[in-house]
Amino acid sequence: MSALAAGAAERGLLGAGRLLGQPRILVGGGILLLVALAALLATWIAPHDPLEQDLLHMLSPPMWADGGEAAFPLGTDSLGRCVLSRAIYGARVALIVGIMSALGAMLIGSTLALLGGYFGGRIDRAIGYVVDLWMSFPPVVLSLILLVGVGTGVDKVILAVVLVDWTRFCRVVRADVLVTRRRDYVLAARLIGFSHLRTLLTEVLPAVTPLIITLFSIEMGVAIIVEATLSFIGLSVPPDVTTWGQMLADARGDIQSALWVMLVPVCAIIVTVLGCNLLGDGLRVALDPRLRQRGE
Amino acid sequence: MFQLSLAIIVRRLAAAIPTLVLLSLVVFVVLRLLPVDPLAALLPPSATAEDARALRAQLGFDQPIPMQFLIWLWEAVRGNLGNSINFHQPVTSLIGAAMPATIELALVALAIALAISVPGGALAFVLHQRARETAADLTVTLLQSIPSFLWALLLIIVFGVLWPVLPFSGRVGQEVVLPGITGFALIDLLITGRLRDWSSALSHLLLPALSLALSFSPMVIRVLRSGLIDAAGEPYVEVARLRGLSETRILWRHMLKNAVLPTITMIGVQFGFLFSGALLVEMIFGFPGVGNLMVQAVKGNDMPLIQGIALLFCVLMLAINTVVDVLYALLNPRLRAP
Repeated sequence: MSALAAGAAERGLLGAGRLLGQPRILVGGGILLLVALAALLATWIAPHDPLEQDLLHMLSPPMWADGGEAAFPLGTDSLGRCVLSRAIYGARVALIVGIMSALGAMLIGSTLALLGGYFGGRIDRAIGYVVDLWMSFPPVVLSLILLVGVGTGVDKVILAVVLVDWTRFCRVVRADVLVTRRRDYVLAARLIGFSHLRTLLTEVLPAVTPLIITLFSIEMGVAIIVEATLSFIGLSVPPDVTTWGQMLADARGDIQSALWVMLVPVCAIIVTVLGCNLLGDGLRVALDPRLRQRGE
Repeated sequence: MFQLSLAIIVRRLAAAIPTLVLLSLVVFVVLRLLPVDPLAALLPPSATAEDARALRAQLGFDQPIPMQFLIWLWEAVRGNLGNSINFHQPVTSLIGAAMPATIELALVALAIALAISVPGGALAFVLHQRARETAADLTVTLLQSIPSFLWALLLIIVFGVLWPVLPFSGRVGQEVVLPGITGFALIDLLITGRLRDWSSALSHLLLPALSLALSFSPMVIRVLRSGLIDAAGEPYVEVARLRGLSETRILWRHMLKNAVLPTITMIGVQFGFLFSGALLVEMIFGFPGVGNLMVQAVKGNDMPLIQGIALLFCVLMLAINTVVDVLYALLNPRLRAP
């Protein structure tokens, strides 16, 4: 991370202004900030405990509808649990899985990409082969199999996503490293006696950092979807942990009578993933001068 | 041209065999990490330790893992993937019964996705040229943020609950019995001339296929638009314009042909997404395909079945990539030169 921070600092005020001038970064970052605040402050802002059952108020509608109550702003589910509180607490698992998985996949994928792309030869071929091998599996199928093997729990979900999605970073970053390594300034660094490690960390890594940051943001969205998928099947976490996927699975039985119970987690997932994708897109455009000219 | 296709297929097949063996090994080892004993379900409550040992020996679970893998591999080569623990049926027949449904679903989804994304990609490109792309761009990003299983739930809410016009459970209506000639409902019912049942099958297929297609389209739209932007800078576009062709004709007849190449590659790479999506979409719609089977196998810790379906998914992915390679070679004149 220190290399990232250094790279950002070097770009200075000009860069910061360019980032904030991107509406997509503002909107996407804003959404993620709100979700993060909800997750951090869940204990204080959620009106109820997410597991507290109120059997006198089962499937009560949102507060603005007929029969709704102010105590349950978004209504309750079939066990009388507050939908809003569950959605707020669900943000915790979503964000933890999103951030930790993206971090893990980024570290493994980018490290292997830097090594393979920079040194080339046998190392590169070996890494490339493993990536190809991994990619012949549909991604969710692989995470499912891994989860069957290692068991359930938030940490296991993170492990499963990292082990599946590092290839995404590896493939894309490697292509960029291959181009960068042939640049004159990298060759010059070697000529004036920089070690391989120093060249990699101070010359090559900063050049591919914008790409890695962009992928990180998009990967968070992917991880959040995978977690929702797995907890929807009932494989991700124990029942006493609230997740959006679980809320969806619970709401399926009441879809005819209580649509709001289903719509709240659906919107929560879509908005959060949209935040990640907007931020990723915005960063991609803001950090890549070639795309800026093309207006992508 | 035929030779080229053949060469690609042979090369792909040769590379596929070690890949399949290695992938099977990975799945095998991962599944042996399983914390619960999958055999517990097979034994009656009155079983003794002696019974358990006999069963383990019968199923080969008492052998060391490398040996177990070799036995499994040898049997797999001979077309025997073992018996499902929970269904008490051969894995191959379970998969064989479910596979046509999934392939049918995936192909219809792909067709719908193309019907959405080819005009969509062209529209995105036209909007790009008129500098009106922010709205189009945001729409694509929004669509990209909705995974297929959420589409499935949303479509059920709209077309099943709020405006109940389409069925959202099963493959055909309950009263319909599939003839089972090819296993593809749409083909079987068509050749037996049962048109009413055919439309029932089609209407059951519509929502699941649309769920998959809607989550697949934004990716295709993006690549297509990008390809069109690249094509717009090529000299042949200028030449066509000088010859007096209309912009519409240049776009649809000339540029699209060139933008299609990267799109095909991308569809091949992303087909795994379609299969991943099919897992949950099939489960949500109670669609009797391989994805649904996989979810049940995973929930029931049914090791032989999981292993078999994993192998099948890999074979399908490799097959699709081969088809994509061949298509690419056939459509790209630059690769046709001897």
